[in-house]
Amino acid sequence: MGNESPIDLLQGTLDMLVLKAVSLGPLHGYGVLLRIQQISQNRLEIQQGSLYPALYRLEHEGWIAGEWGQSENKRRARFYKLTAAGRRRLENEARKWNQFADVVGSILSAAPEQV
Amino acid sequence: MSLRSRTGTLWCALTRRTELDAQVDEELRFHIESYAEDLMRRGLGREEAMRRARAELGSLAAARESARQAWGTRWVDELRGDLRYALRMLAKSPGFAAIAIGSLALGIGANTAIFSIAKHALLDRLNVPHSRDLVLFEWTGNRNAVVHSIWGMFDRGLDGSYSTSFSYPAYQALRSQNRSLEDIFAFKDAGRMNITVDGNAEVVQSELVSGNYYQQLEVKPELGRAIGPEDDAKPGASPVIVISDAFWSRRFGRSSSVIGKTVTVNFIPMTIIGVNPPGFTGAKSVQTSPEIFAPLAMAPQLVTNPWRTSLLEDPKHWWVIVMARRKPHASEAAAQAELSTVLHNVIQTTLQPKPDESIPRLVLTDGSRGLNEASYQLQHPLSVLLAMTGLVLLLACANMANLLLARATARQREMSVRLALGAGRSRILRQSLTESILLSLCGGAAGTIVAVLGQQALLQLTADPESGGSVMHVPFSWGVFAFTLGLSLLTGILFGIAPALQATRTQVRSGLQDTTHTVTRRRRGYAGKTIVGFQIAISMLLVAGAGVFLRTLINLNRIDPGFDTHNLVLFAIRPPASHYSPAQTAELIQRIEERLKATPGVEAESAASIPLLADDNSFDDFTPVGVPLKSNEGRGASDNWVGDDYFATMRIPLLAGRAFNAHDTATSERVAIINLALAQEYWGKTNPIGRTFHTSDDQNQTLTYTIVGVCANTRYADLRHDPPPQFFISYRQPPDTLRDMTFNVRTRASLDAIVPLLRTAVQRVDRDLPLDNVRTQTEQIAEITTTERMFADLTGGFGVLALVLACIGIYGVMAYSVSQRTNEIGIRMALGAQPGRVLRMVLGEASWMSILGVIAGAGGALALSRLIASMLYGLKAYDPATFTASAAVLLLVALAASWIPARRAAGIDPMRALRHE
Repeated sequence: MGNESPIDLLQGTLDMLVLKAVSLGPLHGYGVLLRIQQISQNRLEIQQGSLYPALYRLEHEGWIAGEWGQSENKRRARFYKLTAAGRRRLENEARKWNQFADVVGSILSAAPEQV
Repeated sequence: MSLRSRTGTLWCALTRRTELDAQVDEELRFHIESYAEDLMRRGLGREEAMRRARAELGSLAAARESARQAWGTRWVDELRGDLRYALRMLAKSPGFAAIAIGSLALGIGANTAIFSIAKHALLDRLNVPHSRDLVLFEWTGNRNAVVHSIWGMFDRGLDGSYSTSFSYPAYQALRSQNRSLEDIFAFKDAGRMNITVDGNAEVVQSELVSGNYYQQLEVKPELGRAIGPEDDAKPGASPVIVISDAFWSRRFGRSSSVIGKTVTVNFIPMTIIGVNPPGFTGAKSVQTSPEIFAPLAMAPQLVTNPWRTSLLEDPKHWWVIVMARRKPHASEAAAQAELSTVLHNVIQTTLQPKPDESIPRLVLTDGSRGLNEASYQLQHPLSVLLAMTGLVLLLACANMANLLLARATARQREMSVRLALGAGRSRILRQSLTESILLSLCGGAAGTIVAVLGQQALLQLTADPESGGSVMHVPFSWGVFAFTLGLSLLTGILFGIAPALQATRTQVRSGLQDTTHTVTRRRRGYAGKTIVGFQIAISMLLVAGAGVFLRTLINLNRIDPGFDTHNLVLFAIRPPASHYSPAQTAELIQRIEERLKATPGVEAESAASIPLLADDNSFDDFTPVGVPLKSNEGRGASDNWVGDDYFATMRIPLLAGRAFNAHDTATSERVAIINLALAQEYWGKTNPIGRTFHTSDDQNQTLTYTIVGVCANTRYADLRHDPPPQFFISYRQPPDTLRDMTFNVRTRASLDAIVPLLRTAVQRVDRDLPLDNVRTQTEQIAEITTTERMFADLTGGFGVLALVLACIGIYGVMAYSVSQRTNEIGIRMALGAQPGRVLRMVLGEASWMSILGVIAGAGGALALSRLIASMLYGLKAYDPATFTASAAVLLLVALAASWIPARRAAGIDPMRALRHE
């Protein structure tokens, strides 16, 4: 773990992160976890228990597709990749997130004279 | 896209459950192992690494569960769980389940069966295109109507008589002068005919139809051709028949070679030209189809004509049924006015009414159900039955409500425990609902079986032996079934969810604490007692109803019909007019009588034109000579043309004068015997022997008969009516043409033993005359009391069912009440109450509930008694004896049902009761 205590995930953002992680190339469940931790440099804490329900939910919605394959250590693992619908969804979510972050950021950075 | 993938995963989750679970397991195992390896690389021991990996992921079962939740199958799993739980609960209390399901099944089944029959008999229309357009011709007249000779439906109402029979010339005039309706067509239900196919004879029902009948009804045969105008053009010219689909199946195995086949009908060779489509039942009735259809022009050849003149020419005999279709946008009132004038004119010119005779008026009525005789006969009994089965259904629903309520209260603690353990309120409601819906559905399924069997049984019970025992074919009405099932589902939902709602609303703490606190007892028991009171009220209605119908049957059976009904065998002979002239018929009957008398086993025998107690009657002119008549008095009496030994055979006492004998012949003086009622009507106390009266023959010629004897009164067409005034004439001196005769044979032999001998005796006279409608007089009486017997059976069954359900209801409520009050009763006894007092207290509580129910039920029964008054015999609908007996039976049942709980209460040991908590 890093020096600063890791941030708890905001409600509803896990789906987006999973989609993003998978968009960079097919991954198995553990790989998704590792990749998010790696990109975030361990600053995000993801509850392992909530990862798999998220994966099943996304698959149920048709945004990612699961397939059995071989892992790097020659073991059978289920790999997930982004579908076309998933890509649209990710773009959509990312845009909304950026807008939201902008607005929230500008509000938080507002100085008294700006009001 | 997303919908497809969603349904895809849902489908997989539902159908390949174990496979998916295995996949989830494998995926998670891979995760744990990979994570553990990473941890081990950081220096942890294998054991510890695995433990941490497992701990961080959480339980496998939970993950599996959440996967299923993600796929949207959780509700299915929950439903499955609920169902399993519900089944287990039902299996745990089989008595409860059996009673609830059984009573629902009876309620739903009986209702579906009777409603289906009622719908078919009262509402269904003829199975022809646009049947709503059909109008039926009817006429009404007062007592002096000029029409005297009617073959067909005739009814005397308060406002005069009406009939649907017309003379053939009247039909022809109506048809040719009609402008406001579509082409008018005619038909006649010509009764039973002997048909011989490949040497095998049988009796079938027939319908004679006009040449435009098939065109106007828009019915096309499924095979061959229909009867057309060319077949009906010249009397006797076209001996063709169309057969019904059912007859085609039964007799010809649906072979298409039937077209062109020649069969004999009433000794006439006729060619089969077509087969009717399956659903077509003719124009007369919606329920059953005649087997053969022939042109009306064949009537003179086919019909055993009671009159000497041609049916197709004589304006005096009214017999054909006339129908037509409405023209689109045409006024029915205008059509009625126009055709009424036509009818008036044709009567004026062809019948030449006397000054005191009135001309009937034409009325156009709805023809979409044919003559609609079924509705006429069945409407009243069916509506009473419907009301009673409705009550049974209500009772079944009340019973179920009661059982569910009692159970819900008993399970209050369970609910509280489940709430305390964190079950959601909606989850508990859903579970209760699943249970009660399951119960309703089981009841519905069992009800379907009851409905199908019950419908068959009912139809068998009401089958008309006159029409060869042919059973009315009633389609199973799914609409009705859905309705009754819906009602029971509604009850289940309502009474399943209401207690559950209440249970889940209570605080967990109080629910868990509450064991035998008596504070809330009264309020809790209230709903159950109201329902039981309601059940008793309905039971009172049903039991009292069963009582009056049962007593009606007993009263009818007790009637002395005035003759000896035992050891009497009846059969009919229908000599075809084409083979036997009136004189030959009398001779034929005499020869058959002689043969029968010589048959071993026959004690006495006599022919008669009218069998007694067979809903058969003949009404003729009777004008006494030398007796002043009151102006508005009917000048007719029931009559019967009989053999010499009639009075001896039937054991009807002769009060004065003599019986007929061999000296009364066609050429001797015309003599008659009258019954006491007729003698008293015209001659009072003076001796009528030697007096004369006039009657008329079919030519309206006056004939004079001399009275030579007076006999005792007998019932005539049925048991219900007092013996009517009757006169008897020897069949050798009939005023009209002799027609079908019924032979009354007194014998001690069984029906099976004597019938072959009787058949041989008749065949020695004429090989081709079949015995028709063979039965004993007792069977004959059973037949005319079919409705009464059916009502006694059904309502008796309903009454017993009501008693059983009431018994269960009372027992349930009282047992519950006692168990709730164990503590209180224990305290009472500890304070000195005697067991007898406790017993009386519990019984008293049950009695009050029952007395209130009985009073309410009796009130309801009084209000409804008007409806069944006309169906009863020998007692009033509000018969005090029946009511008192029913009330007594119900109170007894109530006491008996609460006896066990009361004994239990009285036997409570105060110490144990107080420790009970």
